[in-house]
Amino acid sequence: MSTIIHYNALRKTVHDRLLLDIDTLEIQEQACVALSGRNGAGKSTLMRIMAGLEMPDSVTVTLDGKTLPWHRACQKMRSHVIYLHQQPYLFDRSVTDNIAYGLRRRKLSIREISRKVSEALDWAGIGHLQLRNARELSGGERQRVAFARARILSPRILLLDEPTTNMDSEARNQTYRMIRQLKEDGVSILLATHEFCTVAHLCDVHLSLESGHLRPQVIDTASAERKIIPYG
Amino acid sequence: MESLSAATAESFRLLFSGDAALWVIIFTSFSVSVRAILIAAPFAFVVAFLMAHLRYPGRRAMIAGFSAMQSIPAVVVGLTVYLVFSRSGPLGDLQLLFTHSAMIIGQILLSFPLLVALSHAAFQAADRRVWETSVTLGAKPVRAFLTLIHEIRFGLVATFIAGFGRIIAEVGCSMMVGGNILGYTRNIPTAIALETTRGAFAQAIALGMVLLAMALLLNGLLAFFQGRGVMSS
Repeated sequence: MSTIIHYNALRKTVHDRLLLDIDTLEIQEQACVALSGRNGAGKSTLMRIMAGLEMPDSVTVTLDGKTLPWHRACQKMRSHVIYLHQQPYLFDRSVTDNIAYGLRRRKLSIREISRKVSEALDWAGIGHLQLRNARELSGGERQRVAFARARILSPRILLLDEPTTNMDSEARNQTYRMIRQLKEDGVSILLATHEFCTVAHLCDVHLSLESGHLRPQVIDTASAERKIIPYG
Repeated sequence: MESLSAATAESFRLLFSGDAALWVIIFTSFSVSVRAILIAAPFAFVVAFLMAHLRYPGRRAMIAGFSAMQSIPAVVVGLTVYLVFSRSGPLGDLQLLFTHSAMIIGQILLSFPLLVALSHAAFQAADRRVWETSVTLGAKPVRAFLTLIHEIRFGLVATFIAGFGRIIAEVGCSMMVGGNILGYTRNIPTAIALETTRGAFAQAIALGMVLLAMALLLNGLLAFFQGRGVMSS
């Protein structure tokens, strides 16, 4: 597996506290990385920096082997990396319009957008919701719309910020299935969680964020295997 | 002095008989105020957005300044515009005094702080995820801004209506910079002031009824849009 993006010497101070002090972090192709840490450890801040939504104090970004200045890296990251909030925001418009939002920014033809949206709706199993206003959906349905909206843009890296928080077991399993499908589609995933055991079955690498530092953890494959959710 | 009941009856006759002089005044009022608010609102929304989303020195002072400027009396704004555009003023050569343009400039200055202060509150209350989601899905800043505008549209429409309400009924500024010229710069509030001093209550009451109807309509719309302006997650 080759490295897509490499963040070196990433530092971020928040309210005079050094929140992130990461020597190196790399995301490899088709990897699923779990990022664990207690609440307030800086997981969301790290993801927002990785998505180019927040500026670090310092960082060196190497994308596809090229080291880029921050503003250039930001532009590039935005076309490769998609960040999904803990509770994804859906625009006050129809499910179809939400899913098509990113495609419209890429100036595809109406026919192409329509075809891709239709595929995405099928993929997420939300075809029956396509004309509904996204604000009227349940938490699980919203999550599926958000995943479809992200997947349709074919990102290389998907940053998922505690995607199963406040979900019932059925919605959680559905989310796990979509993450697994995305992984099989070749998308690299960084999955923030404060309970690694709940996502162990999905992940290849486990990084723990403690006192601003990233510490690699060993995945107990045997226990992870037992947590695999049946596919499909 | 004519009796109140006779004046009121006459005012209805003027309104519904299509009295040309009266309707020119009404048209002037709306023409000037609509143009003023349409020019002021987009700039005010951009300023409010920048104040809500950027961190820079003096930001808090700027917010406080716009809040304070909401209470500047219309007549003071009128005096300022008058001095600027009077023959000996810095922009006297433009010869804008006692024209619609001067009235529009005055009303823009009058509504701008209110539009900025109210829309700033709407932008500040907007969910940060709107901007971030737009950007992460590939929107450029202008598109992300338009998406944000769409998401808080009810709050902004309420702001727009409040701003329009402020200028359609103001008398001080229009009187000073418009000059209350019959058939040209005379608008509803200045006409009411003039007709009342002349004892011609019928036209004043008729115009007052138009303003009152407008105020009720604007307040109804304001309540409607403020109610719908609550953002869901």
